[in-house]
Amino acid sequence: MEIFTENAGLLLDAIGTTLLMVFVAGIGSLILGVLVTVARVSPIPILRRAAFLYVQFFINVPLLALLLLAVFALPDAGLILPLLPTAIIVLTVYEAAYVAEAVRSGINTVSVGQIEASRALGLTLWQSLRLIVIPQSLRAVVQPLGNVMIALAMNTALAAVIGVVELTSRVNKINLVYAQPIEIFTGAGLVYMLIALAIGLTAGRIERKVAILR
Amino acid sequence: MFASRSSRRRGAVLGAVVAVTALALSACSADSSSNVPSGNDAAEVTDVQAMLAGAPVADDALFTPGSTMEKIRDRGTLIVGEALDAPLLSQQDPTNPDDVAGFDAYLAQLLSVYIFGEPSVEIVPPASETREALLQNGTVDVVFNTYTITEERAEQISFAGPYFSSGLAVAVKADNDDITGIDDLGGKTVIVGSNTPAVLAVPEEQPTAELVDFATDPQAVQALLQGRGDAYVQDYTLLASNAAANSDLKVVGQPFTAEPYGIGLGFGDAEFKDFINNWLLEIQDGGQWGQAWTYSLGTVVESEIPTPPTIGSVPGS
Repeated sequence: MEIFTENAGLLLDAIGTTLLMVFVAGIGSLILGVLVTVARVSPIPILRRAAFLYVQFFINVPLLALLLLAVFALPDAGLILPLLPTAIIVLTVYEAAYVAEAVRSGINTVSVGQIEASRALGLTLWQSLRLIVIPQSLRAVVQPLGNVMIALAMNTALAAVIGVVELTSRVNKINLVYAQPIEIFTGAGLVYMLIALAIGLTAGRIERKVAILR
Repeated sequence: MFASRSSRRRGAVLGAVVAVTALALSACSADSSSNVPSGNDAAEVTDVQAMLAGAPVADDALFTPGSTMEKIRDRGTLIVGEALDAPLLSQQDPTNPDDVAGFDAYLAQLLSVYIFGEPSVEIVPPASETREALLQNGTVDVVFNTYTITEERAEQISFAGPYFSSGLAVAVKADNDDITGIDDLGGKTVIVGSNTPAVLAVPEEQPTAELVDFATDPQAVQALLQGRGDAYVQDYTLLASNAAANSDLKVVGQPFTAEPYGIGLGFGDAEFKDFINNWLLEIQDGGQWGQAWTYSLGTVVESEIPTPPTIGSVPGS
């Protein structure tokens, strides 16, 4: 137990970094994911194609490979960013693909009749998306989005590999001194569990508030 | 509306182009790192086989009933915690998974010869984070994993040896003339390997240095060459092999620490520890220790076979 009290400052700092990554990449991926979905259901073929390729690319390439590419390959192409922003950007574009898939399944819950009605009322495509389709589809997928956010929180641990000092990286370092892997990693696991619980419970609350009873 | 859409599209296309370029580039850099000497040429394989054939075998009397070594001998294979990705120390040949070359790997094979009369090693690759746990729960019999003997670790597990002594040194880009050793690293950004002794040793020497850690040695080298840090602190022999393979990198100054590497064993198993320490003395006298060094670390360092450290000479061993 004294392992955790002696290193409280360092651990809180690292948990802060983890939460920062979850928060920024979470908001970013929700926005980017909705935009990708809009592109995917838009009537412009090339936009639909691009959005499809985006989703397929990021769902089919492992996150660790993306992180390593962003950190070690992009500098060779002349683009070098500090490690934490790099990790947040990669997490954002990666999770956005999963958000896009979740939101797309939500769009399928909006009946064609509603879209036809909105067109009949004279709404433009953008208006019917913004006022009719997106709000309803997001309400239908609150819990799946919560799961994507939980996966995002777990995935932040991979940033330890590329030198971001977040929770996993910090407990690795502490273990190097104390050589007590079971206690130390159980502690870290509990923190991740609390983060996941918080996201899951929040998603549950939001869902109950916004769900459309049909 | 149209403008914003088309720029989004362009963004997606640009992203794809960047990603593809990145993939291509990483493929190139993977090629260039393959010339790290790994010590598994055909000629060296026969050398190693000759070394194993001539290695000492334990006397039957040493296998006392109920002892750990007797259990291992009855099982028929020695389960070793050792890396598969450490050049010169313990590296698996990807085209021939049975061929694991390097100093740690050769010693593990020598120990299995000592127990069984022929090499029989099963490798469990440990993460540096879990070596103590693997020993405590009996998943592995011994750990050969550049396992630095420390007193904290010696409270959890036991160490035989030390079997090798190395030290941390500083590497910089070849065109960097400002840094000539550990003393110049104050306030600098220093790259280290995760879970290596450098994580603790650098702040002790230079509290103002900022550390960035990467999981593997090739990543750390790449990060140094791309300018993510001013210097890279790592084991001297590993740095020497990197510098031999890559002219963009140079080692500056002398090693500034002494890292005694021990063989990790289950805690408090004094009988097994004596058994292994005796074996270490036998291969030191028999010349196999020196051969194992010559066929691995000795391929990149221009010096005579070093003197093995005295067994039990380190607190914790």
